[in-house]
Amino acid sequence: MTDLRKIIIDDNEVEVEGAMTLIQACEVAGIEVPRFCYHERLSIAGNCRMCLVEVVGGPPKPAASCAMQVRDLRPGPEGQPPVVKTNSPMVKKAREGVMEFLLINHPLDCPICDQGGECDLQDQAMAYGISGSRFDLPKRASDDLELGPLVATTMTRCISCTRCVRFTSEVAGILTMGQTGRGEDAEITTYLGATLDSNLQGNIIDLCPVGALTSKPYAFSARPWELTKTESIDVMDALGANIRVDTKGREVMRILPRNHDGVNEEWITDKTRFVWDGLRRQRLDAPYVRVDGKLRAVSWGEALTAAADAMKGKKIAGLIGDLVPVEAAYALKQMIEGQGGHVECRTDGSKLPAGNRSGYVGTATIEDIDNAEMIQLIGTNPRLESPVLNARIRKAWARGANVGLIGEAVDLTYDYHHVGTDRAALSEMMEHDFGKVLEVPSVVIVGQGALNEADGLSVLAAVMKFAADTNSKLLVLHTAASRVGTMDIGAITKGGMEKTLDGAEVVYNLGADEIEIDKGTFVIYQGSHGDRGAHRADIILPGAAYTEESGLFVNTEGRPQMAQRASFPPGEAKENWAILRALSAELGAVLPFDNLGGLRAALVAEVPHLGKIDQVPVNEWEHLKLRPMGKADFRGIVGDYYLTNPITRASEVMAELSAGVKARAQKPMAAE
Amino acid sequence: MGIMNTLLRSVTWWNSQTLNTQLFTWRNGVKVGDDDQGNIYYRNRDDSKRWVIFNGECEATRVSADWHGWLHQTFDEPPTERAMDHKVWEKPHQENLTGTALAYAPAGSIRRANPVERRDYEAWTPE
Repeated sequence: MTDLRKIIIDDNEVEVEGAMTLIQACEVAGIEVPRFCYHERLSIAGNCRMCLVEVVGGPPKPAASCAMQVRDLRPGPEGQPPVVKTNSPMVKKAREGVMEFLLINHPLDCPICDQGGECDLQDQAMAYGISGSRFDLPKRASDDLELGPLVATTMTRCISCTRCVRFTSEVAGILTMGQTGRGEDAEITTYLGATLDSNLQGNIIDLCPVGALTSKPYAFSARPWELTKTESIDVMDALGANIRVDTKGREVMRILPRNHDGVNEEWITDKTRFVWDGLRRQRLDAPYVRVDGKLRAVSWGEALTAAADAMKGKKIAGLIGDLVPVEAAYALKQMIEGQGGHVECRTDGSKLPAGNRSGYVGTATIEDIDNAEMIQLIGTNPRLESPVLNARIRKAWARGANVGLIGEAVDLTYDYHHVGTDRAALSEMMEHDFGKVLEVPSVVIVGQGALNEADGLSVLAAVMKFAADTNSKLLVLHTAASRVGTMDIGAITKGGMEKTLDGAEVVYNLGADEIEIDKGTFVIYQGSHGDRGAHRADIILPGAAYTEESGLFVNTEGRPQMAQRASFPPGEAKENWAILRALSAELGAVLPFDNLGGLRAALVAEVPHLGKIDQVPVNEWEHLKLRPMGKADFRGIVGDYYLTNPITRASEVMAELSAGVKARAQKPMAAE
Repeated sequence: MGIMNTLLRSVTWWNSQTLNTQLFTWRNGVKVGDDDQGNIYYRNRDDSKRWVIFNGECEATRVSADWHGWLHQTFDEPPTERAMDHKVWEKPHQENLTGTALAYAPAGSIRRANPVERRDYEAWTPE
């Protein structure tokens, strides 16, 4: 149903959807309208009045372009298209007036404000600000809020755009923030002074057009113009959120989201945003070899020789951790299988089917959630497994989609139909008549909590049958950023972890810290942080973390994305694929590539879709054989959301957040 | 006070005093006092002029706060007559060391013999 209307904006005639607002129509015409409160992913508030435009022939006052629709404009007397002006003297005068009002109570903090240099108010004051103030009364002051360990507030800077209120209530789904009072007394506050309880709260820092909400961990540490910006991919969860890594020298100073409509829109989780202090602590910066029970720092040459000696002629098992790029996993697979060993990437024990991409990725894209009418969650808690995806499901719910859940009845920030908690509920649901569901677009999302137990493959087969019967698309929600990519290159062993480790004399552990390895096994650990894996290791080879090397990651919908290097690994640490290439030479079975380009060429020759960056391949539907499932309840896979990988466990901010969650669970808020 | 010193003072101005200043001080100077460093403070007879003869290098910052006030006509009485109050937390007076070998250098400065190694990360150590 298209309702195209012609409209003339500053002498440009454009034809746009009638439901569009004037500010969107101006964007189509290539004209930028200044704004503070309007945000395209939030509801329209229309309270900053900065986007005023002149509607010719309309009421003799400027109109807020963010709140007026194109179809509300009247055509001219002979049916000419309506005319809108964005640069007339009336518009300029109106905007200058608005700016003057906003600046009445805005403090002159810019030199000591973290927003300085990337502040909308600063930028727009350059165009619409007047040289001096005519206001000689005392300025308004308001108390700062305590929002928790992530968001710092300076509420006198607030211009009451209410973007933070709209984000927290519409996207994050928490009803903690609000605005009280009228006129000069209007203030943003939290309900009973509560701190924010959401893992998406960092986004309000980006949304705030002024410096009222700034980042606490990043406070006063850098200015935007002295940072080097690198566009990269996040690995904290399997969504593969697009991020921008800002570095100063070798240090990562902050991480910001990038816009990608197909993946993360423009939100990222707090774990993604604030994990950077973990990149500076507990780093492995030299190779270690265990001599007489004690780890001793050695040179690379000694470490590689020791590793090669330990591996030669032994039964080797290679384990691939959650944060490993596809290139390193591919190099490890080539090296270990060349030595007659086995590699395994499903370190959490999930029973993903080898080679069947419709089984371990599914057929749905993340964007399919946007137009799904029915969303069935099975054995997953997306609020912990992928908070940005959860926000997307919440958006679908807010639009009117029905959400069903089989699994633990947790607070997902939206209402859902709780079908049951166990596998029997799934079997029972499959018996239903799907009449209505067949006609509407629907998505089934299955979590790793449903697939990592002994009957994981049977559950997946049942879920796939359910998806096929209901004509739904399937999305397998992973928790590890590396998982889909390593499944794509086939870095798995039939029989899973048990079979891989069974009888292995040497374990080559590539960044898997969440597992226990039997005593007596010789362990070579390659990774970036001194975590469980490094403590258990007999040889440690220091590698790069995800911001320190270029690598491919395939996200949970099967979209290959390229992470870029933002800084260099610390000390002696090297890029992961290069370590494996050097070790292969030491083993006498040189891997057939000398640089990352050669490695990628070999990789793409073997798995062609990895070469198509940012494209989701269509997966052929392959049924799995139905087998009886067990009886247990579905269990969540994420224990402590803020401490899921070695980088987060090294981060002080994450430790504080995790402690905050525990404290909150012990002492629930008093009921009114 | 050898022949060398006299020769040095005749051609430079920064070693204690010039010969001309010595003659002026001998003719007009009334000694007021001296400080820990051995600098001697003079005034002329009607107290319209106050000056200091340095013991060693002429470096204005060697005058401590006690004498500085008197020297610049801020206080009427010299500290020998009316001592300045000193708080317990005050450090002893120190001249400006900028430009000398003793000048302050931060821990990581390459002007130090053993500069502290710059670390922008915290390394893991076993055990």
